[in-house]
Amino acid sequence: MSVATAATGLLPKRGRAAAIPTADRGRVRTAFLLLLPSLVGVALFLVIPVIMVIFLSLTRWNLLTPLKWVGLSNYVNIFRFDGMGNSLLVTAYYVLLNIPIQTVVALGLALLLRSKRPGSGVVRTIAVLPFLATPVAMAVVWNWFFSPTTGIINQFLAHLGITGPAWLSNAATAMPVVAFANIWQYAGYNMLFFLAGLQAIPPSMYEAASLDGASKWQQFRQVTLPLLRPTMLFVLVTGVIGSFQVFDTVYVMTAGGPGNATEVVNLNIYNTAFAGFRIGEASAMSVVLFLVILAVTVVQFRYFNKRTTYEIA
Amino acid sequence: MATATSEAPAARTASAAAKPAPRLGASVRVTVFYLLLLIIAIIFMAPYVLSIFAAFKPLSAILSQSPLRPPSPPTLANFRAIFTQYGFWRYLGNTLMVTVILTAGQVTFSLMGAYAFARMEFPGRNALFWVYLATLMVPNVVTMVPLYVLFSHSGLLNTYWAIFLPYVLGTPYAVFLMRQYLMTIPKEVMEAARLDGCSESYILRRIIVPISRPIIITATLLAFVFGWNNFLWPLIVTNSNQFQVLTVGISNFESNFTVQWNLVLAGSLVALVPMVILFAIFQKHIVNSISLTGINR
Repeated sequence: MSVATAATGLLPKRGRAAAIPTADRGRVRTAFLLLLPSLVGVALFLVIPVIMVIFLSLTRWNLLTPLKWVGLSNYVNIFRFDGMGNSLLVTAYYVLLNIPIQTVVALGLALLLRSKRPGSGVVRTIAVLPFLATPVAMAVVWNWFFSPTTGIINQFLAHLGITGPAWLSNAATAMPVVAFANIWQYAGYNMLFFLAGLQAIPPSMYEAASLDGASKWQQFRQVTLPLLRPTMLFVLVTGVIGSFQVFDTVYVMTAGGPGNATEVVNLNIYNTAFAGFRIGEASAMSVVLFLVILAVTVVQFRYFNKRTTYEIA
Repeated sequence: MATATSEAPAARTASAAAKPAPRLGASVRVTVFYLLLLIIAIIFMAPYVLSIFAAFKPLSAILSQSPLRPPSPPTLANFRAIFTQYGFWRYLGNTLMVTVILTAGQVTFSLMGAYAFARMEFPGRNALFWVYLATLMVPNVVTMVPLYVLFSHSGLLNTYWAIFLPYVLGTPYAVFLMRQYLMTIPKEVMEAARLDGCSESYILRRIIVPISRPIIITATLLAFVFGWNNFLWPLIVTNSNQFQVLTVGISNFESNFTVQWNLVLAGSLVALVPMVILFAIFQKHIVNSISLTGINR
């Protein structure tokens, strides 16, 4: 790199007109050298794996015996034998629990904590802190909180005379508890986007609405929500993409159980590939999950495009 | 932020004047506001505070005492046990080393790529940039299995390399983030430097890096937090204690010592506390960069 750049840089100014082609060539080479590391990274760890996953999904392979071409049969077999249908349903259930509550909580936090009253700044900070918390370590803490006999939640309930359930080994409560852990972690993070979105709404909009006699609730429905639509789209799209790939908390808190009540797709892929060494089936699951995420994202964009009647430049 | 929020009270008084005063008195409203603030603060702080309490208590005290009671006297025995008997020094050391390498490489190489995309001319630049953008949309889960196949066939499983290699050469996201920032630096700055005979690497090191400090700090924080918290990939590519990182260590440790909450919680705090300290130091910057990266995403 230094040779190439030195050659470019040290050209005498007088000779520039004549030397432009050489200088350009030098600069192109410099640009290429600057790009090289990330280019290798993108090609090797993103582009090639994407091509590979499609190819692998059409094969049967355990990494040791020769790879066998099986066409599309993995895509049928993962639904028939590997509980892919259950995993998709469980994941969808998780997303449907997680996203609406998380979004409402984040918006509520933003509406409350944008106040200028002293103390709201500190609480804003406290609410964002979980965003950095190591999900695996937090999951361990939640395991303690929700453990049937020694956990804080059930101890507290016992004081009230209630016998709490075995939260994480009960099929009805396991997934809501996992969703709670994620809401706790990301509500404050999403609040920040709503805070930014709320700041972008000109106060004159509210003044006009209140002069028209709109109540606080009407102002929220007619001014705040429509103008927050771009923020809402961002929060929902990124949240849904992340939620469909949930792994860390599920792995530590329930390991997919009880039974397969919380066996989300990512956990199923993990078990199929790295416990069962069935690379073809696991690749097919990855492709299916990718298509589902893609479809849901496209639907979200369509919905928001149709409903966005006006936008502030 | 300042302009919008300072005008908000004006809107509020205007609406109050237009309507009959709400039944709720002002003092009641302030009380409700602070009650809500308190509840929010408790919900977000309690897991930290209570697990810190527990990590400094012996198991018998955790099982018999109220979790709200601070440890008296606090004991370091749990931390001594996990560090000396259960190898947490190794997990912590591995995590630190891998995270630092990952962060340094990712930020340096992404900045180089971002500079080339933002401020240099070369054939195929736009097409290549589109490839980067397209890969941004690929979920991690899609590349996980083929990456494992690649690493297993290169004999890199159970090495430090396996843990950081997929992220160390720069990520499309970091390149994109920094490219957007570099685009805001006037072209004239670099053209003037080139006319003065500065080499591209000199421009990058002496002009671009100082101007881009805010975005470099942002990218550094994002990479560091990612590396520190990363779980699934290290879990897949390591199965010997020698190379395992904290997240994987904690997860294994928890499944082996399920009810020994004193040890398990102490282990979790080893991962959680550095992030809290990081947040305390860079609080403003982290909050700003979240908003910034959100808008750019």
